[in-house]
Order: sequence, then structure tokens, then C-alpha cells
Amino acid sequence: MLKNLTNEKLVQLNIEAEDWEDAVRKASQPLIDEGKVKQSYLEDIVVGVKELGPYIVLTEHVALPHARPEAGALESAIGIVTLRTPVCFGNASNDPVKYLFPLSAVDNEKHLEALAELAGLLEDEQFFRMLDKAKSAKEVMDYINR
Amino acid sequence: MYKALVCCRAGMGSSMLLKIKADQVISENNFPIVTEHGNLDSLAGFTGDLIITMDDLSDELKNKVPYALGIRNILDKKEMKAKMEEFLAARES
Repeated sequence: MLKNLTNEKLVQLNIEAEDWEDAVRKASQPLIDEGKVKQSYLEDIVVGVKELGPYIVLTEHVALPHARPEAGALESAIGIVTLRTPVCFGNASNDPVKYLFPLSAVDNEKHLEALAELAGLLEDEQFFRMLDKAKSAKEVMDYINR
Repeated sequence: MYKALVCCRAGMGSSMLLKIKADQVISENNFPIVTEHGNLDSLAGFTGDLIITMDDLSDELKNKVPYALGIRNILDKKEMKAKMEEFLAARES
């Protein structure tokens, strides 16, 4: 379940980012601080985007920063992050990005359910309206846990 | 049945989401396509008919696989349906 993969410490609202790399780094930092991924995992995300393009931007205004599990994923987790000012990733169809869901996945079968739930959330307009209005990480978690 | 490999660089995040959405579109439209998912390394041993991936990766793959279907917006079912129909039409002609 999604609620088992995220928590208030992984939620950051209205953060400031200078560019896509800054956004990815700031969005992913709590995953490092909470022992969900190693620093090398974050570096692999950044390298991946530089080499292959903004493949982590999946739909309008949404990026799912993630790398290969072997790059340093320690425990499955999903962060929930909004930017005060959206940034461009160089993805013509979906820029600018305002919402980031940094993802760490160590077992692809076990987390299919959580990802299916995330897919559902990405289609849930109410979820994004809630994110735009939320003042605290707790409000976001209350929505996820409801 | 056509065999599709849904892949991304990591084989974990976007490819899984893409597979979830692709399977929804396939079942809603009864397309004769079955999907499996993997990362770019899975391409080496892949013997199926098409690759479904994010748009920016598909350009890179075009010359290496039988058919590469690149998705711009993972949630846009119309886009996915149209591109699958294009693949099926190309196969049947």
C-alpha cells in the first residue's frame, strides 16, 4: 500500500528549486536522510536524465525521479513534493513540472500494488487540488490514509 | 497475440506505471497484445513484437527493435490507444 511507502518526513510542500536538477536533489534528499536510498541512487537519477533526457517526466507537470535499484535503493519509498515555482525538464509535452514523486523500489513485484495506487492518484484531480492547498505534510498524509 | 516489452531505463518505476496503463488500454479495447516489463537490459534477449517505452527513449531504440512505441503522457489513454492502433495497422498491412 502507498501509505506504507511514504510518511510525513518524505512530504515537502512549496519548496523552491532553481532548475530541474535542484528540484530532483531537494525532492530526493529526505529519502537519503531517512535511509531509503544511498547518495549514489540520487546521483544515478541525475546522470540518467543528463544522458537519456527527461524520461522521469511521465505526465503533465509530474516527474517521478527514480533510478535502477542497483544504483543504491535500500528500502522502497515514495516521496511527495510540490514546487513553489514549476521548473522545466526539457520535456516538451509535459513541462513545466510542479509535482515530484521521488521513488525508491527494491522489489518490483512487491510494490506493484503501491505503484498501481500511485497511478490512480496521478489521475485523481482532487489529489492535486489537495496538494495545491495543503499547508502541512500531515494534511497530505491524511488524504493518503483516508 | 503480439508480445510487448514495456521498459524504461530503471525497469522499476516508470515501466511499471506504463505497464499498468498499457494493460488498461489493451483490455478496454481488446487489443491482441500481451505485455511484460523490464529494463533496457531486457532488450538483449527480447524476441517479441514491440517495445513500449517513454517517448524520449523510443528514438534511441527505433533501430534496435522490431517496433518502438513511445508514450509522451503516461496517463493519456487516447495517445496510447492511437499508438497501439498504429502498430496493429502496420502489422496487419
